[in-house]
Amino acid sequence: MAGGGGGLELPERQRRGKKHSKRKKKKRVGFRIDMTPMVDIVFLLLTFFMYTTTMVTPQVMEISVPKEVEENVEVNQANLFTLYVRGDGKLFFSMGTDEPQPLALSDLRSKAVELNLLRKNKLITAFKPSPDAPYGVVVQVLDILNQAEAEIIRQLQAEGIKRERKFAFVKLSPEEVEKLKGL
Amino acid sequence: MPKIKKKRLGFVIDMTPMVDVTFLLLTFFMFTAKFKTEAEAEQKFVIKRPYASADTSKLPDKDIAIIKVGIDTLTGDTSYYYTIVNELQRRQVYDNLNFTPEQRKPQLKVGLDMLDQLIMQTRITGPRTRFAIDGDRRIRYKWIEDAIDVLRKNNATAFNFVTEKRQ
Repeated sequence: MAGGGGGLELPERQRRGKKHSKRKKKKRVGFRIDMTPMVDIVFLLLTFFMYTTTMVTPQVMEISVPKEVEENVEVNQANLFTLYVRGDGKLFFSMGTDEPQPLALSDLRSKAVELNLLRKNKLITAFKPSPDAPYGVVVQVLDILNQAEAEIIRQLQAEGIKRERKFAFVKLSPEEVEKLKGL
Repeated sequence: MPKIKKKRLGFVIDMTPMVDVTFLLLTFFMFTAKFKTEAEAEQKFVIKRPYASADTSKLPDKDIAIIKVGIDTLTGDTSYYYTIVNELQRRQVYDNLNFTPEQRKPQLKVGLDMLDQLIMQTRITGPRTRFAIDGDRRIRYKWIEDAIDVLRKNNATAFNFVTEKRQ
């Protein structure tokens, strides 16, 4: 690239040039701006906007509840999987009329998949969060159940069964809340 | 001594088109950036959303009313805040309920009874309006349970919980 002229100039030639042409040498100043920092900033801005425009719309979990809260639905106890969340955020589960057992959040997914594959579409999941349970934990449980659902659908499809999910929010009665506290 | 002369090739790539495209992308994203609405900018409460990783749908930006359950930054109290996104619908609902000018806020702090009336009017003025519950993850589930009951009473049985992607 052209830079400042550099090369070997023979002193004689220079002198000769001086004599021949008039000394109207205009000093030509070249403006060369290095655009590298500008491009860096542009890339930074671009990644910033790309990141933030996708992050700003919140995502949602879809829930649907039946209109009427049906009290005392006849259910085969063997097919009932009940999940409890206590006020301190601890999880409990019970099959049918058994005593609630503690359940770790990390075990919930495998448990849900196991029971659903056992009973196939007959299993009914009843979710009974205590009114003083932390909302964050409630959503976490729903999230894990949704994740398990994907796996259950896949497995049942392999067996040729179309998945029909049976899930319900059930209110916890004050006696049950007390009972849960004692566990 | 070396008989093989290695040919030295110079690679010169002109970066101009790449920079042009980058500028185009930048302007595109700048135009599609959503900024905080006036309501969001002056809100005095905070909502730390619960985490969920399996959610894929985004919160719709039209035909939606949001029941927020937030924690006041000063007092630490939990309260319901109701907001109807569509401005025209919001004005209609406020007219129907004969609200005073002070009550006509884009995001209104309400109790359960007022929430019930607002939801009823929202459904009347816009039957296709969807509902979302945007609650802080630290609140007790009772707040959400009551909100769900009010929605259920007004025949809004399909709604959304607003969550945040778990990192």
